[in-house]
Parts: sequence; structure tokens; C-alpha cells
Amino acid sequence: MARQALLLIALAFVPAIGEAIYFRDRVSWQTPVPASELVTVDLARGWGTNAIWVDARTDEEFQRDHIPGATLLNEDRWNELLPQFLAQWSPDKKVVVYCSTESCNLALEVARRLRNEAQLKDVFVLQGGWEEWLKTKE
Amino acid sequence: MAQDERMKQTLVSDPHLNPLLDGEAEAQRPVRVASRIVWRIVDVIVGGVFIYAGVIKALDSNRFAVDIDNYKILPWFIGVRLAFYLPWLEILCGLALIARKLYLGGLSILSALVAIFIIASIVAKVRGIDITCGCFGHASKYLSFGGHLALDFVLLSFVLLLLRSAHTQSDTLRSIDV
Amino acid sequence: MKTRILTFILSILWCAMARAELKWEQTTLELHPAIEDKDAVGHFKYQNTGDKPVRFKSVRTSCGCTVAQTQKDEVPAGEKGEITATFHIGERTGTQIKTVNVETDNPGQAVTVLTLKAVIPQLLEIKPTFVYWQADDAPQAKTISVTAAKDSPVTQIKVTSSNPEFQTKVEKVRKGEFKIDIQPKQTSKPMSATLTIQPENSPKMFNATASVMAVAAAKPMWTPPLMRQAVAPPPGTSPTPASPQP
Repeated sequence: MARQALLLIALAFVPAIGEAIYFRDRVSWQTPVPASELVTVDLARGWGTNAIWVDARTDEEFQRDHIPGATLLNEDRWNELLPQFLAQWSPDKKVVVYCSTESCNLALEVARRLRNEAQLKDVFVLQGGWEEWLKTKE
Repeated sequence: MAQDERMKQTLVSDPHLNPLLDGEAEAQRPVRVASRIVWRIVDVIVGGVFIYAGVIKALDSNRFAVDIDNYKILPWFIGVRLAFYLPWLEILCGLALIARKLYLGGLSILSALVAIFIIASIVAKVRGIDITCGCFGHASKYLSFGGHLALDFVLLSFVLLLLRSAHTQSDTLRSIDV
Repeated sequence: MKTRILTFILSILWCAMARAELKWEQTTLELHPAIEDKDAVGHFKYQNTGDKPVRFKSVRTSCGCTVAQTQKDEVPAGEKGEITATFHIGERTGTQIKTVNVETDNPGQAVTVLTLKAVIPQLLEIKPTFVYWQADDAPQAKTISVTAAKDSPVTQIKVTSSNPEFQTKVEKVRKGEFKIDIQPKQTSKPMSATLTIQPENSPKMFNATASVMAVAAAKPMWTPPLMRQAVAPPPGTSPTPASPQP
């Protein structure tokens, strides 16, 4: 019985590995992909260099301070800033959009446009926004 | 070796030595045949259920990975790999039941899998985690916790019955096989 | 003496009963700016129907793209006025909802939320605004759909590519609907182009972007699933394929 069980366990690897190889690009192997568009600071940080940070605030707020490496993309200068953002984007990246606080919907709007107009996948909004980033930075 | 074979043949074919061949046992043959048929039907149904459950999960491994993750027992990088592997194990064990090849091995694996699912569900419930079963993929998401447990227990009972029946039959054959 | 005391008590009572209240004509305004408008302006009218003046403590908008102004800081009893909310459209699209929080010194009506809903018309709706090919993908044409606004007189569009390595072809599908086929000449090296889309007889211009991505990140060497955590995480492992093109 044990031999039979071991044989079945071993045989099951074959189709499983085949399926995993076939879908290898469609699965997040290291970290879970959040069910909703909101993502916590910790999870987004865990994506490391796979994440592109997008600042949806005004030019002035961005100039004052922003998440290191973030790209400015606001609706005031959408047409001018979008190509600059797209030049950094690639299909394996996760986009994390933030604005001043969670109640401010600038980030939601920018995320919506990236999904609907540019039809990008894996676009998320940072839960708690810029303020949450500052808290965890401390 | 040849002598052993001859002895075995004698034991099997001699109605005085093989209780299965005496007259009284002959009268019970239709009952035994009917019993075997019933057990075969149960094999096919139980095997079919596990094949169905495995196929549903294999078709959407991503979703199954999320279901496993929801139990908060295993880290994501283990759970996602199990999500690809377990459905195929279920399918193969279900096929083993139907085809009656690697039968005992398949039954033992299935009983272990169902028992683990039951324990994991109870642990999750005690921890206050609201989970979908994952047994039949998202097809069973409308089952209540009680319904889910009941289904698991029924499956486990059938599998254990089949296992016991298979053990009994092989014990009988072994007792003849000298 | 008694009369004076009575008068004093009555006047105190009268003051206590006196109330202030700002009555708003509308707290939600829906605006439909024209295509060429840069701002959408809403006028929130009010009247102080109470007996006491009302003072505005603060008027705050939900984002920097909206500015709200009061005509006066204090509204005497019986007086009318308005708060003007100006929403700067910029390059926004779709329905935008912005709020103005009005704080007064009236304890019964400390904060009033005024909502400005602006439905921004788009002369052209372009979908998707971004098309791409990964390195060494087949350089097949991809399509961008362009739909003109319902009552707009757009009968033709003109498309220019900033990079001659991307060829474009415009086709009219039906009245007010067009499709642009874009095709790179090769996908062996990264390049990009901005497509400028201009409706006939209109100075307004719209953009779309086409890119050939740099070489895709190297796929990790396969390792058995259960061993994978022992290997350093490979760069660029992608969770879901981005497939923007139908």
C-alpha cells in the first residue's frame, strides 16, 4: 500500500509540473496578489523592484517630497506625463498609485485611467496613501 | 516454487480445503457477486467525485491558491505550489479507484487528504477565519461551514469503508495464498 | 423694577431661542462643461433663514483641482449669498466628483458637504491609449479604436506618428467610429512613438503611445516547486500577462 501511495504521489508531479510550467507567467509565485485594488505599504514594499510607484498628487506636492523612485502622473498634465510613465513600465511590473490620504480619490482616478484607457493590468492603490508610507518609514 | 504453486492450486480448487467452494458457500455466491458490484459502484462514484473535485481545482489553480492561503496555515509560496499539485493527486487517486490499479495507495492518500481538509477547516473556524472550502473549488462557496464539514465526513466515511473492504478482501485472499 | 427684571429675563430667553441657519438651494450640482471649457463652475446658493448671523470658519475642497470662494465671511440674518466652486478640468476625463466642506460657527449645522459633479465631454474616446509589443514578438498590427462624441461633427481624423518606425493606417468603421492600425517595422530593439490624433477641423489633439519593450526579463531556470524557496527570487517574475490587445 505504501509503495502504491508513493507511486501515485510521484506520478501526480508530472501533470502538476507541466501545468505550472505552462502557467508560470500567470501566477505570483512568491507573494499573493491582493484581491482588491488596495494594497498595503508592506505588501507593495515586498514587491521590491517589481513595483512602479506613481504619485498622483499635484506638481507642488511631488516637488516637496515623494516616495523615492516614484513617478509623477497626475490628471493636470496627464497627456504630458503618461508617456514618461509608460517608458518605465513593463508587463511584469506592478503599479502602485498613491496620493495624499485614502480619502483623496486622485490615486483612484489615476489607477482607473491606467486600467481603462491604457489597459494596464496589476494597477493598485496604496492603502493609506502618502501618510501611511511616512508612518512606516519612521 | 513449482511445488508451492501446486499446493496453492490444490488449496484453491479443493472444495474441502477451500471454504469458498463448498456447497454452502456456493449458495452465497450471488450475494457475494451483488456485494462486489455494489462496492464497484461505490468505487466509481467516490472516484468520480474526487476526479470532479480535482478537475475543478486544476482548472483554476490561482483561485485554489487563494483558497489555501485563506486558511492562513501555510505561507503563500508553499500554498501556491500545492495548489498546482493537489488537484492532480486527487484526479490520479480517483482514477486509481475507478480503474482498480494502485487501489489501496489511492484510497490511503484520499483518506489522508480528506482528513487534513477536515482538520484544517476546524482549525480555521476556531481561529475565526471565514473560509471557502476549496474542496470543490469555488463551486462549493455557498456551502455553510456545517454543510462543508458534513460533506467531508461523508466522503471520508466512504473512503474508509472502501479501504476496510479492500483490506478484508486482501486478508481473505492472503489467508488462502500460502 | 419688576418690569426691568422681566424684560431682562425675556431678552435672555429671546437670545437663547434665536437661531442661525443657512438654507442651501442645492448641495449637489451637476455640471456639463463644453468640450472647449477649461473650468467647470458651480454656484452653491444659500440664505440665512435664521435670526443670527452665520460665520464661515473654513471652506475646504477635496482636492487642489477645485477652488471654492465665499462672497463674504459672515452672512447676516436673512441675507443671501453663494459659494463659487471652480473645478479645473485639466486633462481629466469622465465624470468627476469633487466636494467642498463648509464649516460654520452654527453648532446645529457645523459642516455642510457640497458636491460638484462634472461630466466631462470627450471629443474623442481613444481605447486603448497604449499598445505595446514585447521584444521579438511578431510585429503584427494592433488596433486602437477611436469614437467621436455623439453630437460632435467629427467626420475624419488624422494620425501622425512621432517615430517613422511605427506605421499607422486609419480606417473609418462607421459614422463617428474609427480604427487605427499600428505596426512596428521590427521588434528586435526597444522604441516608442507618440501618436497624435487630431479630429478634422478641430485644433484639439489627442495622444496615444506605442512601444516596443526592451528585451523581456530572463525567465528563471526551472527548479522543482518545493525547492523554489531555496533559490534567490528571480527578477521580473510576472503574475498575470498584460494583454491589452483584443
